[in-house]
Amino acid sequence: MVDWRLFEPLFNWARKKSLWIVSFCTGCGGIEMPPLMTSRYDIERFGIIPDPSPRQYDLFLITGYVTPKTLKRIIITYEMAPDPKWVLAHGSCPLNGGVYWDSYNAIKHLDKYIPVDVFIAGCMPRPEAVLDGIHKLMEMIESGEADGWKRYRENYEWYRKNQDELLGKGWREKEARKWIPWLVDKKKEVKE
Amino acid sequence: MTWEIGEEIVKKILEKAPYAEGRVRRERRLEFKIPAERIREFLMIMKENNFPLMLQISAVDWVRDGEIELVYHLMNIELGTHAMVKVRIPRDLDKAKMPTVRDIYPAAETYERDVHDFFGVYFEGNDKMEMPWILDDPERGLYPHRKDFDMLGYVKKKYKILDRFDENKDKYVI
Ligand code: SF4
Repeated sequence: MVDWRLFEPLFNWARKKSLWIVSFCTGCGGIEMPPLMTSRYDIERFGIIPDPSPRQYDLFLITGYVTPKTLKRIIITYEMAPDPKWVLAHGSCPLNGGVYWDSYNAIKHLDKYIPVDVFIAGCMPRPEAVLDGIHKLMEMIESGEADGWKRYRENYEWYRKNQDELLGKGWREKEARKWIPWLVDKKKEVKE
Repeated sequence: MTWEIGEEIVKKILEKAPYAEGRVRRERRLEFKIPAERIREFLMIMKENNFPLMLQISAVDWVRDGEIELVYHLMNIELGTHAMVKVRIPRDLDKAKMPTVRDIYPAAETYERDVHDFFGVYFEGNDKMEMPWILDDPERGLYPHRKDFDMLGYVKKKYKILDRFDENKDKYVI
């Protein structure tokens, strides 16, 4: 039997060199993605690619403010991904609400609902700042500091409690049930 | 400033719709004020007079007057002219009702649902009115863009934070 834990440093090195980003731009920071991906900053040279599938990614960029409605999708997308996975939050909005601190519909602490490994401050952060954040995350991955996915598993009860408090109990099922009839038969729309 | 083409358009429309008030605000911008119950009639006239595009239905909440002002933004593409059709309706929830204009301008469907979600104006005849739209369940029925919506109270209740909402401080620190 091989003890695979022996190879963990090698795996971590490989993981940091091949981050895949899920294509889910949640807020205004999403506008920093095009220069980041294209020839100006070209993050593909670090082995980073945007990936439309939530089942293969390992880096989740929360690019800006998060509304409760988006938060539902974020949590579901986050939980779909295999471990290990990392979250990098852009801008002041996920940190503390940013300019939307008194808005009825923007969450104030992203960290209460899903674990965040690296925060980038600023409104909005330039692509250089995002690059810097990604570099920081790479270092953290190599040294094993970026352990959000572990924290999420260990403290699942706490995260779950916060999510349910904000979104209401049973929101996953309710959300699914709300939209399925609409997709299946447009005549039988649910009034709820 | 006068803009002759605009004056002509306004004159032509007002001939057909004598109940309306119309004027040229500036070049390429017209403004009409009409009573709320004539809206369908008036928009049909507008459509015949070369305003084929609806850009937006926006709403303004005049709390002191107890009225909501709906502004229908129409566009004449040939002249690049923007016309605003303004109506005023009472802002009480049971009286804030308008006939839908979805069959005249199909784009109005989404704008009407917007206004319903955020301002609580009910558009009769639009059968998608009750469907979930932009707001999530907890906010539906609160009409958060009305001026008398208690924003801070709602935020405090919902997100349970922070000392920055402390009432004893006279300045909030963001
Ligand atoms: S921090 Fe600024 S740029 Fe980023 S989501 Fe908030 S408002 Fe938009």
